[in-house]
This record gives sequence, C-alpha cells and structure tokens, in this order.
Amino acid sequence: MLAILKRDLRGYFTSPIGYVFIAAFLAVLNSYFYINNILQATSDIASLFGFIRFVLIFTVPILTMRLFSEEYKQKTDQLLLTSPNGVFGIVLGKFLAALAMFSVVILFSLLYLVIIAAYGQPNVRQVLANYIAIYCVAAAFISMGLLLSSLTENQLISAVLALAVFLGLYLLDYSGIGQNNRIINNFLYAISMFRRYENISRGVLAINDLVYYISVAAIFLFLTTRVIEKKRWS
Amino acid sequence: MIEVSHLTKVYGDKRGITDISFTINEGEIVGFLGPNGAGKTTTMNIITGYLSATSGTAKVGGIDVLEDPIAAKKNIGYLPEHPPLYLDMKVSEYLNFVYELKNADLPSRKNHIAEICELVGIEEVYQRVIKNLSKGYRQRVGLAQALIGNPTVLILDEPTVGLDPRQIVEIRNVIKELGKRRTVILSTHILPEVEAICERVLVINKGVIIADDEPQNLAGKVAGEHKLAVRIAGPKKNVSQLLRSIDGIREVTPLADREKGASDFLVESHPAIDVRKPMFNTLAKAGYPILMMRPHDMSLEDIFISLTEETADPDDLKGVHQ
Repeated sequence: MLAILKRDLRGYFTSPIGYVFIAAFLAVLNSYFYINNILQATSDIASLFGFIRFVLIFTVPILTMRLFSEEYKQKTDQLLLTSPNGVFGIVLGKFLAALAMFSVVILFSLLYLVIIAAYGQPNVRQVLANYIAIYCVAAAFISMGLLLSSLTENQLISAVLALAVFLGLYLLDYSGIGQNNRIINNFLYAISMFRRYENISRGVLAINDLVYYISVAAIFLFLTTRVIEKKRWS
Repeated sequence: MIEVSHLTKVYGDKRGITDISFTINEGEIVGFLGPNGAGKTTTMNIITGYLSATSGTAKVGGIDVLEDPIAAKKNIGYLPEHPPLYLDMKVSEYLNFVYELKNADLPSRKNHIAEICELVGIEEVYQRVIKNLSKGYRQRVGLAQALIGNPTVLILDEPTVGLDPRQIVEIRNVIKELGKRRTVILSTHILPEVEAICERVLVINKGVIIADDEPQNLAGKVAGEHKLAVRIAGPKKNVSQLLRSIDGIREVTPLADREKGASDFLVESHPAIDVRKPMFNTLAKAGYPILMMRPHDMSLEDIFISLTEETADPDDLKGVHQ
C-alpha cells in the first residue's frame, strides 16, 4: 500500500497533472479569499470553505481520472495485481495518494489563517471544524472518482463521468425546492453531500455528519475493490 | 513446484482453455509452445493470480493461488506479454518501486537491484526514463522487474518478442542461467527457442495440451518417420522413379527446384530403415550425384498439423500425452 501511495503521489508530479491541479485550485481559491475576506475585511472562513467544497466538484476528477484508467491502459495493473498485495491495499494506496495531493492545497490554505490572524481573530473552533469537514467531503469525492476510474481505461471518460456525478449531486440539493413533501425533503437531506456541510461550517461538528462522509468513502472504496476483483472473473 | 489441475477458463461463451493439467518440478525450464491465441497467456495469467479459472486449481509451491494469493504470489516473478512499465518513471525508480511493491526484504536492496541490472544488461540505462527506451531495453527492464525479490518461480510470457537477433541470444542465455536456480515457465511460438532453452515442452493448441515431452523427442515422436530433403543432379522424372524403387522409401515429394539441372525432393522413409546409404549407392550407380542431403526440419506448423491430426484419434492421444 505504501509503495503505491508513494508511486502515485510521485506520478502526479512527473506529469503536468499535479501542477495543474495545484495551480488551478489555488488560483481560484486565492481570488476568492481576496474578494471575500480581504476586500470585505472579514475573518469568517466558513464562506471560503464552502467555496472549496464547490471547487472540489471540478478538481477531484483531475486527481482521480488516471488512478486506475492509466494502469489499465499501460497494462501495469498486471504488475500490481500479481504482486503479493491485497486488492484493498492497492485501492487504499491510490485513495491516500489523491488525498495527499488534496492536502498540498490545504497546506497552502493555512496561509490564509496567518493573514487573518494578523489582522483579526479567527474562530479556532470554526476553523478546526471546517478543516475536518473539508477532508471528509474530499475523501467522499475522491472515493467516488476512484470507482469511476476503475471502470474504464480511458482517463477522459473517467474524468467526465466524475464531473457529471459530482454536478448531479450538487443539483440534487436543489431538486427538493418547491416541494412540500417532508419525506422527500428529508431523504434528499439525508443523502446530500453538501447540505450536511452547512452545519459543520458553522462550527457544529455532529458525529452523524462525519459518519456519513466516512461511510460514503468506505462504501466507494469497497465497491472499487469489488470492481477490480470482478475483472479476474470476466 | 507448480501444479495445475483441470484448469478451464471460459470467457463469456468462448472457451479460453479446457481442462489443462500439468506439474512442473523444481528447477525445470519448461517451454509453453503454441500458436497465437492458443491459451498460453490465459494459463499464465491464472497461475500468477491475475485471472481466476472458471474451474480447476493452480498451486505454486504447494499454495493454492486462489486460497492464499498473497503467499503464492510472493514466490512468483511474472513478465507479462506487455511488460508492465510505468513510462514516466526512471528505470531506477521503477525497480525500487517494484522492490517495495513486492514487499521484498533482502539484506541489501542496492546490491540486489544492481545484480539484476548487470544480469539483464540494463546498467547503462539505469538513470533514464522508461518512455525513452527502445523496445529491447523495455523488455529487459520487464525481465528485471520479474527477478526482483528472488522469486523461486519465473513465468515469462514471450520474453524474446521484439528483440533483435543478438538480444534474443543474450536473453536466452540469461534465462538459461536463471533456470539453474529457479523454476521457469516461458511461452513462445518459436520452435527453435524451445529447443535452445527448455528441458521440457508443453504444446498447447486451442486451449488444450496436445503434447508434453522433451524438445528433442517432440519432432521425432510427432513425425513418426524420417524425412530427408535431397537435391540430386538429374532429370526429375528419372530420379523420382529411381528413388521410389529403393527399399524403405515410402514417399517421394517433388519440391521446387533451386538449382539448374538439379531436382529437389522430400523423401519420407520408414523409421526403422536408414535409407541414406542405399540412396547414395543407387543414385551413384545411375550417374545422378547427390548434391545435398539433410534431415527435413519439422516446423512448428508441421508439428501442429501432425499433433492435431493425431489428437483426433483417441488411441494416438495416449501415445503423445505420456
């Protein structure tokens, strides 16, 4: 698992993908921070993290598109699957590599805190809650992207599918608007990737919200493992 | 070392391999010979745990590949048909990655990798990016990858494909050298390759093993009779009649003439009778000198044709199957 984590993390930087991901993410984020926090002179970071969550829709597919697709294409999956490692270890290694790339961006975001702390008083509790929450959301998104990557040997298809799924999940939140059916609304809330986040961003870290994101990640990692195991039988 | 019993693999409604069984002992170099699409790669993929068989079992070192895949895979070094290379990595990075991937734990990683590089001859490209290497070097890096961690069983799928003739000889020597301490299975569709490297050969066609023997015996056994290619200075018709009159010669097939004033024939004789001396005497007496006489090499195609013809008859099957 560790070997795969290391290789994939390095793989991001031997191709332009890692740099494109970091540059695009930070460019958008910095602009937002400038407009939202500096121009409006606020120390509230909830809105910034809400925005990161939105940017994930477009950036996570860049991270996950090649994780398995590229292995299939180069036939290197044969090396991984005939090595003495369990399939879940391989999946986990790739998942953690993508999460580590996301962490690079998050590390840069610490600079914002330095700037806020220099001019005001960040709410420590809120900041902490937001960091934990954004990791949970990213983990859930990455696991979905990983599953989609394991389904095709074409990186582009895998990226477009991930984008469509993430945007679909985003739109799901608005599909309940105008309906007064409690059951439907409760159901939509329960499966929403985004609405749960609103509680957290206010600094309310409820266990059930965290459990939701972690279970989503776990389920999709499990499904990815099954997809790869199934390939042997086809 | 490797025990395969009753392996069958069905792809959808297509049969990959059917009821394949064989045992390979420790230290043997076994050739897997067959035309493209015969099921060589499928069998190898099942032994290495990349594919699962529809039915039947494969054991490596006594461990069932399906029941305890991690323990079984630790014993295996596999070079697939397409070397599994990460093109964006340097050879050095790649081999170190494979070392970690295989959870190899040898006293010195550095020495181990250096030894392998020397053995397969990739020292000079060690710091280059794999993307920029020629096909021959890529194949060698693939072979190096299989050797990492000192596996006791090596499975090589067409290891010499894409190499130039000099490299082919080199790689064959490397494999022979490796086979002294390891069990090796290699697949090929080139007959001389099997003769050059292997102690034993399994012939596979259309997913079924049709012969299991030493390479030297294979051609003789399959042929069942001796064939000589001869070139004789003299008119085709006369020479042909003369040849037919010799005791022990069963059949004379005219071949395309290659030399002016001489006729080429393929002479099939009874296996128990050596017809070479009578041929010489008869032809010399008649004044038709023999310009050339050599045993007719069985090509892979000939072997397949004759083996598949024989397998059609169940009685003959036993004879070939050992």
